[in-house]
Amino acid sequence: GASVKMASPKTVPKDAQVMMQILKDMGITEYEPRVINQMLEFTYRYVTTIIEDAKIYATHAKKSTVDADDIRLAIQCRMDQSFTSPPPRDFLLEVARQKNQAPLPLIKPYAGPRLPPDRYCLTAPNYRLKSLQKKVSSSAGRITVPRLSVGAVSSRPSTPTLGTPSVQTMGSKVGTPVSLTGQRFTVQIPSSQAFSLPPISTVQNVLINPSLIGSKNILITTNMVSQNSSGESGSLKRKHEDDDDYDAL
Amino acid sequence: MAAVQDGGSELEGEKEPKPELMNDGSTAPAAAPSSRPEDQQTLLAVLQFLKRNKLIESVDALRREAGLADEPEEAPGSEAAGGAGGAAAGSGELGDAGALLSRVSGGSQSAAAPAPAKGGDDQPDVSVVLSAYSQQGDPSLYQVYYSGLKKFIESVLDCHRAELSQLFYPLFVHMYLELVYNNHESEAKSFFEKFNGDQECYYQDDLRVLSGLTKKEHMKGNETLLDFRTSRFVLRISRDSYQLLKRHLQERQNNQIWNIIQEHLYIDIFDGMPRSKSQIDSMSGSLAGEAKREDNKTKVYYGLLKEPEIEVPLDDEDEEAENEEGKPKKKKPKKDSMGSKSKKQDPNAPQQNRIPLPELKDSDKLDKIMYMKEATKRIRLGPESLPSICFYTFLNAYQGLTAVDFTDDSSLLAGGFADSTVRVWSVTPKKLRKVKSAADLGMIDKESDDVLERIMDEKTASECKILYGHSGPVYGVSFSPDRNYLLSSSEDGTIRLWSLQTFTCLVAYKGHNYPVWDTQFSPYGYYFVSGGHDRVARLWATDHYQPLRMFAGHLADITCTRFHPNSNYVATGSADRTIRLWDVLNGHCVRVLTGHKGPIHSLAFSPNGKYLASGSTDGRVLLWDIGHGLMIGELKGHTDTIYALRFSRDGEILASGSMDNTVRLWDAIRAFDDVETDDFTAATGHVHLPDNSQELLLGTYLSKSTPVIHLHFTRRNLLLSAGAYNSQ
Repeated sequence: GASVKMASPKTVPKDAQVMMQILKDMGITEYEPRVINQMLEFTYRYVTTIIEDAKIYATHAKKSTVDADDIRLAIQCRMDQSFTSPPPRDFLLEVARQKNQAPLPLIKPYAGPRLPPDRYCLTAPNYRLKSLQKKVSSSAGRITVPRLSVGAVSSRPSTPTLGTPSVQTMGSKVGTPVSLTGQRFTVQIPSSQAFSLPPISTVQNVLINPSLIGSKNILITTNMVSQNSSGESGSLKRKHEDDDDYDAL
Repeated sequence: MAAVQDGGSELEGEKEPKPELMNDGSTAPAAAPSSRPEDQQTLLAVLQFLKRNKLIESVDALRREAGLADEPEEAPGSEAAGGAGGAAAGSGELGDAGALLSRVSGGSQSAAAPAPAKGGDDQPDVSVVLSAYSQQGDPSLYQVYYSGLKKFIESVLDCHRAELSQLFYPLFVHMYLELVYNNHESEAKSFFEKFNGDQECYYQDDLRVLSGLTKKEHMKGNETLLDFRTSRFVLRISRDSYQLLKRHLQERQNNQIWNIIQEHLYIDIFDGMPRSKSQIDSMSGSLAGEAKREDNKTKVYYGLLKEPEIEVPLDDEDEEAENEEGKPKKKKPKKDSMGSKSKKQDPNAPQQNRIPLPELKDSDKLDKIMYMKEATKRIRLGPESLPSICFYTFLNAYQGLTAVDFTDDSSLLAGGFADSTVRVWSVTPKKLRKVKSAADLGMIDKESDDVLERIMDEKTASECKILYGHSGPVYGVSFSPDRNYLLSSSEDGTIRLWSLQTFTCLVAYKGHNYPVWDTQFSPYGYYFVSGGHDRVARLWATDHYQPLRMFAGHLADITCTRFHPNSNYVATGSADRTIRLWDVLNGHCVRVLTGHKGPIHSLAFSPNGKYLASGSTDGRVLLWDIGHGLMIGELKGHTDTIYALRFSRDGEILASGSMDNTVRLWDAIRAFDDVETDDFTAATGHVHLPDNSQELLLGTYLSKSTPVIHLHFTRRNLLLSAGAYNSQ
């Protein structure tokens, strides 16, 4: 930023005048006026940090006053900690020499997006879902619903997919989405609901009306065929003949 | 100790401290097999003392009794390498004695000359060994040495004076740093005050930094200065001037300067005419002096890689006329001009497989066809036909715009900002869309023709997308050639790869632990280069989480990194005012180009790969011939830092954009035609640069108080430029 008219030296406190002189000596002629304040704040913080550290070292060495050696030690420790500088040139040359000896790796053809192994990418979902506190009582018996994955929302994160797995939640209190591929869930529909369950053999033909689900927190998801489901299909107890019997909810 | 009894009485007093000192510091092996090393040293020390005080008879007597040879051993004059501890034994002892004498006798005038040079020519380079010690003689005499050298240089012939004046600056800095390093604060200060006004104007910034450096502790944090102290400043001097200098320094008691020269300077001698002041000025300015001749001798393959043959249809309407090479087609297509060159390998071009490059995908081939179609509609530029310039001004950026890049087909524009965001805009009316979520993707018809449109989610269409992820200002952005990825480098030390389909961050490459000032994708994709504060440039591939190559050698931050059009070389410009060209294959530095007087902020390769243009804070654009490693042009005109340089698509015009709110167009063809590179200039690297900047300047275009930070020629040679409006 360009320099706005500087405050006249008479009205500027002495510290600020000193700072302006330092900037001038270092050849900096154009700066915003706030820079002086920021530099003064930094100076104050730095000096107090050093002096506090030096006091600690002095008491550690059982000295009554802080002397120059303590200050020197404090400065050195702070330098190694906050104001690190890049490695020296000979070290860099040596590291570079070693690195450059390896030939360039050949490029695999037809590889799709060329990215490092998943572990080094940022493409995994960065969240994990908490399990629900209340477990639904199991008096109604268990129904394994093929292909229509309904269940308590405890899940491990599945294999990474690009982007967030999206689900369509139906009026549920717990709104966390989940990718349920590869996991088997059971539906427990409590008998307290006014919801009569037909026998298992005809379950496939029932459209579960979302309005009947009420206060129980049940998530209904559409069939989640994410890219990675091919490996996990074996673990699901699915009946594939039921594919087209369910409309997407 | 028997020999010591001879000699004057004044010897007694001084004898006492000597044995202790000598025993402590004695490292030199005994030359004469009979006596112990300490005795030998004492003897020689005493001999020198006697000689200096003209007690000749005592000297002879001492020699006779001690059984020494008539003449003390001649120290081998090692001119090339620094003396270090490797000097011969005899000189080692004498050197020790000299050092001891200087320490013992303190600051008094008579004995203060540490060089035991009374013996004249028989011990010419004895104190070469002193270079092994960090203390080089008496600090209070540094001023005397320097003034002595100054007087000598002012008295030589004009033709030599310019060359020898190059010595002033490195000697001044090294002597000052020696004084500071050895804790002679007051001497350092007075030395600085006396001589800093004599230095060349283009070293003023360095001198200002030095003036703030008064204690040894100050040096510790400053990597650049530490490197400067340990590396050797290179000077190129003609043989005649060098002989003159050497003769002068060796015949008098000026060995101190000679020591310092040998330790800290590398004098690259060439045979031929001494250079004029203007020639020297044009090449000097860098932190490490000039480039040694052998640094620039490696063969550089600057030619372009052969384009794959893709047959382009004649008709514009016939969109699906893409053909692979060799397949005949019913319509007669026109072969693209690049592919139809002779099948012979260009001797200056690298082999196709010199470095592994990704193969062309179908989408890349489509892209190439579009490129060739656009190329046919390209305007030929020249002095009579200047390009139109379209300026993209970033409003309300509050000086936060730190980096800009355009895609090659000029459809997307990315800006890196000081608030750590990266924003991508669509320059064409077509909006930016994200890819649909995985659920929706499962539902689309994969066989339809416009599947690439269907995978995009219309709900997310917008003109601008903001990418969050960095934790510091973004200093470099670069699009990949296939427009799938965007790279950004930031002050937080990471380089992030963003997908332009999902507008999310894919990878964060960590390697630099310090701000990364610039990054660029290779022209073929897959590789990218980055350079930053840690003085190292790294070559990465998108599928490796660690760099493939590290280019170390610069003395200060790397501010600009660019790929050569054939992707085999990387040019880096640095704050140490040099440009280095690195070979991607083996990481070697193949060219060192000096001449700028300030940090280099922009680099541009010409489209034919032969030339490099560079711009820096001194407002000059320099043109370099890569094959020979020579400076072939200098374009003066800008008054402030040049942050943007770009050649037009066929290399006819060079556009430069600067902080002085102007874009200037230069006649590149004429600038390169004017070069005469005959054998002599190629051998010694001295080109006489004509001062024709005014003739080469084709136009100056002012923006409304908007510094220009990026330039880009579209495929049809329209010039696009970008900058942030600066209201002050």
